[in-house]
Amino acid sequence: MARTLGGALAAFALASGSAQAQGRINIPNLMAERCSICHTDDLGRLPRIQAQRKTPEGWLMTVVRMQRMHKLNLTDDERRALVKHLADTQGLAPMESAAARYALERRLNTVESFKSEQFTQMCARCHSGARVVLQRRTATEWERLVHFHLAQFPTLEYQALGRDRGWLRLALDEIAPALAKDYAYGDDAWQKWKQSARAPVAGQWSLSGHLPGKGDFNATMSVTTKGKDARDHYALTLDGRYADGEKLIGRGAAVIYTGYEWRGKVEINGVEMRQVFAIDGDTLKGRMFVADHDEIGADVAAARLDGGAGRILAVQPSYLKIGEKARLTIVGSGLDGEIAFPAGVKALKIIERAPGRVVVEALAGRRALGTHTVRVGSAEGGELAVFDKLARIEVTPPYAIARVGGNGGDAPKVEARFEALAWANGPQGEYKVGFVPAKWSVSPFNEDAKRDRDLAFAGVIEAGSGVFTPNNAGPNPLRHLMTNNAGNLAVIAETTGGGKKLSARGQLIVTVQRWVDPPIP
Amino acid sequence: MNIKTTLALSVLLAAAAPAARAVQPGELADNTAAPLIAGREYMVAPNHPNQLNVLDLADNKVLKTCALPDAFGPGSVQISPDRRTAYILNNHFGGIYGIELDTCKVTFSARMSLDAEERAIAVFSVALSPDGKEIYTVQNPSKLHVDRYEVQAPRLAVYKTDAGLDARPARTFPVPRQLSLMQAADDGALYALGPDVYKIDPENGKYEVAVPLLNWKRPGYGAPDVLSAWAMQLSTREFSALYTAPKFKDGQQDLASADFVWGVLSIDLKTGKHEIADFAPLTEIYFTGTRSPANRSHIFTVLNGLRKYDIKAQKLLASASLEHAYYQVNLNRDGSRVYLSGTLQDVAVYDAATLEKIANIRLPGGDMSLSTAQIFVR
Ligand code: HEC
Ligand code: HEC
Repeated sequence: MARTLGGALAAFALASGSAQAQGRINIPNLMAERCSICHTDDLGRLPRIQAQRKTPEGWLMTVVRMQRMHKLNLTDDERRALVKHLADTQGLAPMESAAARYALERRLNTVESFKSEQFTQMCARCHSGARVVLQRRTATEWERLVHFHLAQFPTLEYQALGRDRGWLRLALDEIAPALAKDYAYGDDAWQKWKQSARAPVAGQWSLSGHLPGKGDFNATMSVTTKGKDARDHYALTLDGRYADGEKLIGRGAAVIYTGYEWRGKVEINGVEMRQVFAIDGDTLKGRMFVADHDEIGADVAAARLDGGAGRILAVQPSYLKIGEKARLTIVGSGLDGEIAFPAGVKALKIIERAPGRVVVEALAGRRALGTHTVRVGSAEGGELAVFDKLARIEVTPPYAIARVGGNGGDAPKVEARFEALAWANGPQGEYKVGFVPAKWSVSPFNEDAKRDRDLAFAGVIEAGSGVFTPNNAGPNPLRHLMTNNAGNLAVIAETTGGGKKLSARGQLIVTVQRWVDPPIP
Repeated sequence: MNIKTTLALSVLLAAAAPAARAVQPGELADNTAAPLIAGREYMVAPNHPNQLNVLDLADNKVLKTCALPDAFGPGSVQISPDRRTAYILNNHFGGIYGIELDTCKVTFSARMSLDAEERAIAVFSVALSPDGKEIYTVQNPSKLHVDRYEVQAPRLAVYKTDAGLDARPARTFPVPRQLSLMQAADDGALYALGPDVYKIDPENGKYEVAVPLLNWKRPGYGAPDVLSAWAMQLSTREFSALYTAPKFKDGQQDLASADFVWGVLSIDLKTGKHEIADFAPLTEIYFTGTRSPANRSHIFTVLNGLRKYDIKAQKLLASASLEHAYYQVNLNRDGSRVYLSGTLQDVAVYDAATLEKIANIRLPGGDMSLSTAQIFVR
């Protein structure tokens, strides 16, 4: 069974509290007063604190541990300001966090894979490997981290994947030196990033996204500063719509850490959502998810409307079927010039035009088979697939975890959302068409699941949307050994393409609640 | 299959979580003064919130319930050689307590941490010398510096059983890491289960490998995995634990195609001789397995089901399904009855010949979780 990251309960909100109050806190003084009670050397420095770099979430975890385990006294605003200061002055460069953003974005169905089997077994079995990879430390600090682990969790070396090896010796002699080399404290990337200019944040952004179970959306996001004494704190509004026509209206706030780590909290159509984005010049990318159900979230990309070159972020939907008139929405920035579709695709009618969004009724002929970018003036990009017959579909994610919950317990249910990704065949081989509607069902994944009647207990999938809702938490007296409503299910998508039936299978593990849900899984 | 075993113990060790509110000595204890009767057979079983039950096996009833000090977990019990005192590793692996069974009085206590700057725990390791005068445990300490933690070498700590409350060790010796279950042999040698089985001289701390496990050179087999949290004091005077191991198809030693087997390691505490015997293919997980005192070739295993195997024939003899999982399987002295304990709050009694259920003994209080139950004749 592949292992994915997991989690259910809401993490700490990074982007909240009073920006002004946080702005007034003098962090160097606070650290000199409160951290130095325990962390100080003969020269009055803060040796441990100064030898580590990590993400805002990484610092949040450390500081919260100081509060919970070591009785450090901080107000909520002090903690937020401190985490901000530490992430700004001892953070990760964009290049350094790139490899493991999935963990920050809370893509908890990610199945991690690391080159070193030893690393995976030793350091990525209780938590994600991302938690490790998203840190930079001196050799001494990697070593002290090993000591912290065994001192804090002394049964660790007796557990599976602990007792089969000399855990401490391996961790100190092999893992810590390797980490000190691969994830060194002093790194060029960080030096360069510290010196580089920061991209502007305030202004208008054109935003495109895709929410499994709901579909594509696009919006204009307006970002304004919160005043001089609230550096890096912004107010946001969102105004846009989903592909099904529903309006998307939102309002909230965001904080920029380390010059590029965007953490937002917005209420969209009445639902509280979090944004975890990385700014890259005049674009940004990341994920926006429901605050207390982070399994429900959208991939998001955005481009500044009032800056730089025109860009195309997405074509929604990403495909045209030959001979069928359809509306395409081109989302991007600076979409002012002439609309140029690939040869064989005709723009029949322009329905709407704005710098961030162009809606066109289009028709594709056989000549256009294949995938293309589109162009509007100087902006080029997006993906438009023109197809005749679908060749196959696949279930995404191919492997997902849902968790039982509710039933009076603290942990809510964690649902799973599936989509059918379609492919077509062209002269150049197979190409991606995009997400297509499908009919969804579940069945026992294997003989064990059949015998234990997992299908009857684990939960239900909505045939139209691919949204799986697990059953209640707690022991079920109807089940053998009164076990809980866990299960191992095959998730089946069916659709028709070119007159024939297409189907695909994914796997869904329904398992128990997760009681601890740290900011980095 | 290997993955399943490994998952099982991770879950198990993670389950050793803080318990409910600790019961104060004297509170909730029932019938504490009932003395045990010489020649009669009893079982002790610790459970939540933090108590020790004494069960009378003549009528399969709870005779008394002693409240324990501090906090529960893991509840690893050893009975003194004179069968008057139960020593229990408890308080989240952090302390050992001696409980006089006739009176429920706490006659001994020792904290595993020896000073305020250290945090030390013992992982299921508690044993008694054959004369009952000394308690052995392996403590895993870490030094708590003001701004960092530092793992220290484990130590064998030897306590005098008459050292009273807040006892300090009489002697300590450095020992290898990852030691857990222990039992002392009739000749005084201490056997400790770790990556291998070590034989330790508790007088001077000298140790040697008595039975290689992780480092065994068993032709045709890969390294075994020993999964045990229960040091059972068997009437046969055997120190025993189950193992799983990959048995290779051929000289290629390919793990993917290997067959996994269950086996039992038995060290005879009277002679020091040991035996390693496979008895079944690994088709399901067991947490414990106990050989019958009536027939050494019969072994009972338990987790989600109760099974009875013939070791020599490597054959399943009988099987019973259970209402819920039990972690520990014990037998009474004549081997006629099987006692299942651990997990929740009832002890299930089965006929050893037919595996038919005889009784469920419901304990007062909560679940036993990882605790060790022991059967003995007073
Ligand atoms: C009461 C003592 C105490 C105070 C006050 C304290 N710490 Fe710590 N800190 C510790 C101890 C003990 C450790 C080592 C154990 C651990 O990592 O939890 C530690 C470890 C750390 C580490 C290393 C963690 C790692 O993962 O390696 C950092 C960074 C840190 N503290 C930051 C801070 C900051 C920042 C403050 C002030 C805002 C602070 N501490 C205040 C006791 C303290
Ligand atoms: C037994 C489970 C377990 C294993 C194995 C484990 N970890 Fe952890 N690790 C934890 C837990 C739990 C925490 C959270 C501690 C806290 O903040 O309360 C943690 C925290 C961390 C942190 C964040 C610490 C901070 O404050 O910045 C890092 C980095 C880390 N682990 C790295 C590693 C590495 C490297 C290894 C392998 C040598 C490893 N872990 C193995 C359980 C484990």
